[in-house]
Amino acid sequence: METNIDNGMARDIYLDNAATTRPDPAVLAAMARADSDCYANASTVHRMGVAAGRLIERARASVAAALGAELPEVVFTSGGTEANNLALKGAAAALADRGDHLIISAVEHPSVSRVAQALACRGLRLSIAPVDREGVVDPAAVRSLLTGRTILVSVMHANNETGAIQPLHEIAMLCRAQGALFHTDACQSFTRRPLDTRGLPADLVTVDAHKLHGPKGVGALYVRRGLRLTPLLDGGGQENGLRSGTYNTAGITGFGEAVALAMRTDAAAITTLRDRFEARLAAAIPDVRINGPVGNRLGTISSVTLPRPDAKTLLHSLSRQGIYLSAGSACAAGRTEPSQVLLAMGLAPEAALRTVRVSLSRFTTEQEVDAAADALARAVREVGG
Amino acid sequence: MIVAPETLDLSGVPCPANAARALLRLEGMDPGSLLRIIVDDGEPVLNVPPALEQEGHALLSKEPDAGRWVLLLRRG
Repeated sequence: METNIDNGMARDIYLDNAATTRPDPAVLAAMARADSDCYANASTVHRMGVAAGRLIERARASVAAALGAELPEVVFTSGGTEANNLALKGAAAALADRGDHLIISAVEHPSVSRVAQALACRGLRLSIAPVDREGVVDPAAVRSLLTGRTILVSVMHANNETGAIQPLHEIAMLCRAQGALFHTDACQSFTRRPLDTRGLPADLVTVDAHKLHGPKGVGALYVRRGLRLTPLLDGGGQENGLRSGTYNTAGITGFGEAVALAMRTDAAAITTLRDRFEARLAAAIPDVRINGPVGNRLGTISSVTLPRPDAKTLLHSLSRQGIYLSAGSACAAGRTEPSQVLLAMGLAPEAALRTVRVSLSRFTTEQEVDAAADALARAVREVGG
Repeated sequence: MIVAPETLDLSGVPCPANAARALLRLEGMDPGSLLRIIVDDGEPVLNVPPALEQEGHALLSKEPDAGRWVLLLRRG
């Protein structure tokens, strides 16, 4: 088996960072200290509890600073999925007297789209805002769907498959004018693209830790001050009653540390690497298609449609060489249906099935993106055609 | 020159997040500097002062103020 093995040490080329990232060693160290030194329940008032609470509040300050939020506006959750569930279900339940209509975009992550579909099964009306061929929502389409009964509009900041950046400000302004709440899932873009809640009229923003070299199982929902939500979990009343449950002190500590580190990351350097990968691949395979808007994509993601073979074959071929990428979003992995995101962009199903996602991080190197581009080109040539 | 102390308003912040936020603020200040902290009546005014004193900060005064309490702390 051909692998990236050097002197017995595996040199895995991990290019599936949109699925999850490698925890930063500094994050792991902070979490280990939290687990060993501050293991008391962070909701208790004795000295050890306050010490644990201090870690929670320091992490909250880190996340709040990155969002331009006030401390009480940051509600820690078990991750992006829970935060998205809390945003949609919590708003729908709390505002049932005000309306019965939701709008989401056609390219939302399943933790938004399936929640919206579940709410639709319970009687809410659901509208889907389409995207153009680059995967971008047209604000005019949202405007045409908004009604006086619209409770909430949810449009992600950056798409997890293509990296397409959505026109959040325009959409949020439309929502505000109509009296609807605006939610954005910013799990992919958080710390990578500016998202200052002081300038963006968003009411709810989902972020999580493991996309930015933090731990899995931790996220947060920004909840604009004064906004009413119905909690998903009742219990001890943590997080201003919005998220009961004993604090995951180590995880939240790691989240705060990861955010602080990510805010110091040179995003432009990652974009340069992404562009290098795409240029090298396009030079080797002229009929490759890059998905997403050319000038307004997240610099960590490259979605490429290849002339052949199917993405699953490519995925396994590269995996055998120690190069790891994705045939779609992680949550869709294991299924052979074409990506709903790519179909919404107008790709034919067979083209969507020939699409792979390469996603980078601050740990990615030039050598790695070159090796991945070369391996993909080789795999395409080997199939012939 | 007399410098008015900074104020940290912890109204509505539950225990022990109030004490934790006060500790973080104090840790960012120079030793000997003063911090005025506003806490709610009830559990907060009972819990916050001892939590800060245990970490070496000095409670200089504690005054009621319209249903809340104003604490004056010296950073240890």
